[in-house]
Amino acid sequence: MQKKWQKKTKNSNISSIIINSFIWLFLIGTAMFVLAPLVFMFTASVMPASDVMKMPFPWIPKGIYWQNYWQGIRGNDGSFIYIRNILNSFIVASSVTVTTVILSAITGFGLAKYRFWGRNAVFMLIMATFMIPFEAIMIPLYLVVTKLGLQNSYQGLIIPFLVNAFGIFLMRQYFITFPDEILDAARIDGASEMMIFRTIIVPNSIPAMATLAVLTFKSQWDNLLWPLLIVQSEEMKTIPQYIVRFISEKHTDEGALMAVASIASIPILILFLRLSKYFIGGAALFSSRKG
Amino acid sequence: MKYPLFKSGIEQKKSRWGLFFVIPSILFFSLFSFYPIFTALYTSFFRKKLLSLQPPDFIALQNYAYLLKSPDFWNSIRATAVFTIGTFIPIVILSLILANFIVSRKRFQQFFQMAYYSPAVLSSVVVAVIWLLIFDPRGLGNQVLNFLFNSPGVDHKFLANSIMVQISTMVVYSWKYLGYFTIIFIVGLTTIPQSTHEAALIDGASRWQDFYYITLPLLKPTTVLVSVMSMLQCLKTFSTQYLFTQGGAPMAPINVITLNIYHTAIRDHRIGRASAMSVILFFIMLIFTWLQFRVSRSEEVSY
Amino acid sequence: MKRVVILFAIVFLLSLSAYAQQKIEIIYWTHEDPNRTEIENRYIEEFEAANPGVTIKRVTNPSNKMAEIVLTAFAANQGPDMFNLQIEDEYAYIVNNRLAPIDYKAAGYDSLEAVYQDYMPGTLDSVTFENNLYGLPMELTNWCIYLNKRVFWDAGLDPDKDYPKTWEEMVEVSEKIVIRDGEIITRRGFDFRYPYYLVAMVPMAEQLGGKLISDDGKKAIINDEAWLKFLTYMQQWGPNGKNLGSPTYTNARNLFNKDNNDIAMCQSGLYQQGRIRADNPEFYDSGDWAVIPYPLFEDAVRDVASAYYGHYFVVNQQKPKENQEITWKFISYMLNYPEEYLVKVGLIQPKVRLMESDEFKNMPYSDVFRQDMERGHIVYYGENSAIIQQHIREAVESVMLAGRTPEAALQVLKLKVQEVLEEE
Repeated sequence: MQKKWQKKTKNSNISSIIINSFIWLFLIGTAMFVLAPLVFMFTASVMPASDVMKMPFPWIPKGIYWQNYWQGIRGNDGSFIYIRNILNSFIVASSVTVTTVILSAITGFGLAKYRFWGRNAVFMLIMATFMIPFEAIMIPLYLVVTKLGLQNSYQGLIIPFLVNAFGIFLMRQYFITFPDEILDAARIDGASEMMIFRTIIVPNSIPAMATLAVLTFKSQWDNLLWPLLIVQSEEMKTIPQYIVRFISEKHTDEGALMAVASIASIPILILFLRLSKYFIGGAALFSSRKG
Repeated sequence: MKYPLFKSGIEQKKSRWGLFFVIPSILFFSLFSFYPIFTALYTSFFRKKLLSLQPPDFIALQNYAYLLKSPDFWNSIRATAVFTIGTFIPIVILSLILANFIVSRKRFQQFFQMAYYSPAVLSSVVVAVIWLLIFDPRGLGNQVLNFLFNSPGVDHKFLANSIMVQISTMVVYSWKYLGYFTIIFIVGLTTIPQSTHEAALIDGASRWQDFYYITLPLLKPTTVLVSVMSMLQCLKTFSTQYLFTQGGAPMAPINVITLNIYHTAIRDHRIGRASAMSVILFFIMLIFTWLQFRVSRSEEVSY
Repeated sequence: MKRVVILFAIVFLLSLSAYAQQKIEIIYWTHEDPNRTEIENRYIEEFEAANPGVTIKRVTNPSNKMAEIVLTAFAANQGPDMFNLQIEDEYAYIVNNRLAPIDYKAAGYDSLEAVYQDYMPGTLDSVTFENNLYGLPMELTNWCIYLNKRVFWDAGLDPDKDYPKTWEEMVEVSEKIVIRDGEIITRRGFDFRYPYYLVAMVPMAEQLGGKLISDDGKKAIINDEAWLKFLTYMQQWGPNGKNLGSPTYTNARNLFNKDNNDIAMCQSGLYQQGRIRADNPEFYDSGDWAVIPYPLFEDAVRDVASAYYGHYFVVNQQKPKENQEITWKFISYMLNYPEEYLVKVGLIQPKVRLMESDEFKNMPYSDVFRQDMERGHIVYYGENSAIIQQHIREAVESVMLAGRTPEAALQVLKLKVQEVLEEE
């Protein structure tokens, strides 16, 4: 496709130069709009509070005001609980990611490649769970989890999110396009269904599973309402809870706030940069779906 | 779907395996999704106060009747509709344009994709903190607009004015999800075979005609998918509106259904009515999902 | 034989109770407040040492999420042994029988009467329901106006003489202090404490003769004229009027501590002093700040200051009796140190002995707070107060921000609050 545009620009005239520069301007302008808030966050995070709310905003900090980061990590009470909270976020998000990927793959495989009574009903039911706003089921869910005695524990944070409709949907779409002939050939060779899943399906769906993993990790990293309800001890809290707490402790300042936000964002941004092909691949999978 | 002919015994065995693969998830969803959902549905027929230990009164459909008469609920429907339409149309159009522009570039394709996608990875608490500072009357929002329009000292009232605050929620949301849909479109674009474009260009079509008559129709399934998906997400929006109202923005203009559910249950303790609202929202979304499935099935395009 | 059986039974019961005592864990949920955490953790240690077998688990939550977290837990019948909330949020727990009445013996009193005598008159009324007492106050707070003298001097005003005594003067003084960049305010004279309409603003309407709810509890929003005048005042305050402040600016009391020359006055309680000292010791020690009484309208018909609100310690009725007993014992243990709560945290426990103590009298400006408290009343705390507050908020926002006329806003407000009253 690039070749085609190339051909076009070759017989360039003035109007195509104008169009061309307009496109560049548009792309760069949008990129600036999208990136400006991120740049603002990082810039403000190394400024004293009095500079952050200054008019006009000084884009280039006078110096690096590391105290913000120190205050953010240290916490207002000097307990350094943020480090533990970051660790918790990692533990919870990673566990949920692992279970979601495994369960979604198994269920998606079952739904895509096997015919059994009630299959479509099961699929529709699973999709229906996607449409329930969390606020609506919060209280019954809380009841279930507390009845199981899981409040204030990693299990309580992890178990309600073991698998989700989106993951199953994604994996099912992926497996549907997988050729049946390969599976049947394996069956004729005497492979059991479990073996087929392990030796054929899993190795061939690594990219899809990686995509799902990254998306799941991201959405767990963002979870606030549930941990707020289920976790009471400081040692079990997660990053979004820490940020909310940091904001509500009224005597903190905007610079430190941005430092806390930066600390919370840096790991996920690094992850994103390292794994960008899977993030971007995730969208690819979604758009190539065929029902 | 094509199944080779096997003996029915094998077919039966396969169907048992299929069930076996699905059962763990079904068990999970039964406890953590279906049970809460049915609780919500059941509760919606009662007048129930969250803290009350008395058995709740069965009032059949009165909660629904109340909601359909309540101006407050209709305002929420309006706020949700305005937000949904005002967000997904610009997102779809803008991401379609951006995707076309990006694939037309020889360089920096990867950079632009990643730049546009990066806000999607931030957590919504962080997003709210950043944007509340930007929308502060003394913040960056006013400074940038006043610089661009050379209008020093104008307060655009991003959070204060009831129209502006709706636009502000749309801007924040679009900012966060623009890159996501741009990338879906890019993938959609790259699946259109080049030969199709080349044939059109050889026939003397201009670039614009190529886009309008070739790209756009072939992108229709992707476009429909993106619209319906973003529509569903917009209908469920909560955190942006919630954090804005916490930050001093007026409630009424952006009191979307989910926010209303939350307040009815948590602030007013009226869990029966909140459940009824959830059920209504559920059906609205069900209609859109049904639409999504129908459309994506009928819109298979062959090249 | 009989004796042996009885002996056995006694031994058995004793061992049971000893066993039970060993296991008692009291869960205490409260909101985050660093200064209070410090002293309460010490009380917990002391209490645990004095009561072997009892552990107290103190859990802190963000203050703006506290009501939601407690509510969810109680809705699932999983509430903590004890918690504290603002009385407006707590009252629903009382009327729904979710709380245990005070065990005055465990709390160290001879009779219920003695409890009432320990506190200032009227301060336990809001937790008294059907002749039972359901809570003990951790704090009772009213708001006065904090004033930054430096900003007054900078604006050419004399803080000792020119401070606003009436709401009309509040506008005049603010107009002298305010600095704008175009429409954008960069220095405010005063600004309200917006989300707290019941505490901070309803008294303004009351000064003019208005009432939130009639005495028989049947009619909402009494005296249109008063409410109209109040709404008009708010409209004039906002960006569509004289542009002196708005809820979307950074909240006033946070800016105040910074002493950045961007706000001259804010509304807050006595506890703000501790916050200033923590945030900006230089400003605190300089003494360049003052506290002035809640202003009055020029044509006020009633002298009302800001309402006061309370945090009350309450006990979960669903917990076993022995837990409840220990919990009350623990509550009264903590409440035995009102002087320390006052000096270290800035919270006023309305105990008679505290109000007469030197510690209270020596607190800067405590007399202003005390006099204002005598002028005020407790905040409206019905089961429906949160939703009523929301309706007042919408009315004020609609005149300040959305450009609705005070008349139209009042119509809507009346209808909505009336509907809330009738639904109960």
